[in-house]
Amino acid sequence: MTFHDAVSDTMLPKGVKDFLPVKAAKVEFLDRTLHQVFSQWAFRPILPPALEYLHVLEKGLGEGLREKTFRFDDRQSGKLVAFSPDITPQVARIVATRMREVPLPLRLCYTGRVLRHTEQQVGKDREIFQAGVELIGLQSPEADAEMIAMAVECLKAIGAREFTIDIGQVEFFRGIMDGLPLSDLLARQVQTAIARKDLSGLQALLADTAIEPAARQEVLALPRLFGGREVLQRAAEVVTNERSRRALENLGRVLEILEVYQVEEHITFDLGELRGLDYHTGLIFQGFIPGVGRAVCSGGRYDDLTARYGYPAPATGFAFNLLNLLFALDKELDAVAGQSSDLLIVQTGVDKQPAQRLARALRQRGYAVARDIISRELPETLAYAQKMNFRHVLINGEHDGEIRLIRLADGAERRLAFPDVLSPDFVL
Amino acid sequence: MSDWITFALPKGRIMHDSMELFGRIGITCPEMEEGNSRKLVFENPSSRYRFIAVRATDVPTYVEYGCADLGVVGKDTLLEQGKDLYEPLDLKFGYCRLVVAEPKELRQTDDPANWSNIRVATKYPNITERYFAAKGIQVEIIKLYGSIELSPLVGLSERIVDLVSTGATLRDNGMVEVETIAEVTSRLIVNRASLKTKHARIARIIEGLEKVVGETPVISV
Repeated sequence: MTFHDAVSDTMLPKGVKDFLPVKAAKVEFLDRTLHQVFSQWAFRPILPPALEYLHVLEKGLGEGLREKTFRFDDRQSGKLVAFSPDITPQVARIVATRMREVPLPLRLCYTGRVLRHTEQQVGKDREIFQAGVELIGLQSPEADAEMIAMAVECLKAIGAREFTIDIGQVEFFRGIMDGLPLSDLLARQVQTAIARKDLSGLQALLADTAIEPAARQEVLALPRLFGGREVLQRAAEVVTNERSRRALENLGRVLEILEVYQVEEHITFDLGELRGLDYHTGLIFQGFIPGVGRAVCSGGRYDDLTARYGYPAPATGFAFNLLNLLFALDKELDAVAGQSSDLLIVQTGVDKQPAQRLARALRQRGYAVARDIISRELPETLAYAQKMNFRHVLINGEHDGEIRLIRLADGAERRLAFPDVLSPDFVL
Repeated sequence: MSDWITFALPKGRIMHDSMELFGRIGITCPEMEEGNSRKLVFENPSSRYRFIAVRATDVPTYVEYGCADLGVVGKDTLLEQGKDLYEPLDLKFGYCRLVVAEPKELRQTDDPANWSNIRVATKYPNITERYFAAKGIQVEIIKLYGSIELSPLVGLSERIVDLVSTGATLRDNGMVEVETIAEVTSRLIVNRASLKTKHARIARIIEGLEKVVGETPVISV
């Protein structure tokens, strides 16, 4: 077997990709459609920088992300700088430092690429495309419900037919774990077992501990508290601690509001879901599309994050992972993410001005038009147009003075006079 | 397609044991019993179950990527691969132990408390690394793909980390167990998104299996 050395001269690092036009159009469609929904809910765009000082960024990053940050030396300041692995802490910083005079609540949205170190060889993305929103200054269940209802609307808007928004509550978990007589190591192992829904592992871990029977029942219930709304009822029967009960009340109120928004058919609950514990403080959620193991969106409440930048404010938000969406909906996106251009214009002879005038007029009317500037035989032009997804080819300047308009899908040909094409009645 | 439930099962004994267990909660596959051993995908269209036969070490991969909703795999494989999955149930069959072993002669003079810079051959480099690192022992790991017990016989390594069930293979090759790293049984694993998007059917399967596994007396070999 021989590998060509030329390949390695121009290869990309692992975990990043080039997106060629077909895929790029889909990513662009996803981003545009999501932002349409964001703006319908009155969210305004914000643009954080790609690069920040590490010590500033780190204030807002949880343990998990801190280790995954790309960081390096800034020659100008002598400090360490980093590419942000998460946009939410950046928005928190901006709100806390630059927008504290602006009246609350703030509704902000963004699109950005973040970089994260991942374990090599697993083929995971190091560059993550995110489009998300942050709602700052509201503590109420209505704000939590707004995030979930928006996520549902977003998924419908981009053409997902089947999906689930899975809701958790980190306060429910913390209420159960609060005050248990567990060492740090054991508490971490318990948390891992719960996150993996490994009930037998959890039983083994708790076997030799001095946990009260009632508290033990609460912990052992966590791996099985997933499913439809009946989960809230089941959970209420198990937990007695005040903190978890308040978390359940919060979920109950959010569910009532989601019924008004008529999105409850997409809702599931999982009280053993602990992802995003880093800065989350209340309701959390993730969106799933059947057949894709990774969440397509995730978010939740983070009431303490802006305080880390000196401005305490309750907040919630979520972000879509555009590449996971692309993977989940690749086929569905073929139909909606416009790949084709309308028209390729060919001008025979030396004088190209008529073609330029036609192109300008048609572009002004909203058509996507390109000039075939190369001089070549018609079959070559047609082959090029076909390959580049043009829908029509227009040929001007042939002997009889007429314009030929060829529809590439079926080869159907129309003959038109030059002024016909310029007239307001003309449609492709 | 999404109202089907797909299982990834390791070819061979575990697949047979799994199907026997599944049969007790009404999950069956007549096509599999026809005995076409080259087939890799089996379907039960009336109850919408699909079964794919794969290598044991590939089961977590098929489930993580969502090609299968559920799978059955040994805890050893899960520990080694550390994939992002749910493992809600210990199915209690396929019992083995993951052990550190060494030749009988070496064992007579060897004190594990003095281990330092040891060389270990194994199919499980990640588990081995983590296990010895937790004890503060540096190891040189030699990754092998089979017949691990050969390694000390020919001087490739002094010690091995391997799975044993009866211990007969170790004995036949003049080796003895020194330490047990983990007890291993087969686990039911579930894809994260499947658990959310097909929660009603999957919860029923987990509950049903939990019940029949609880009724089965555990037989350790």
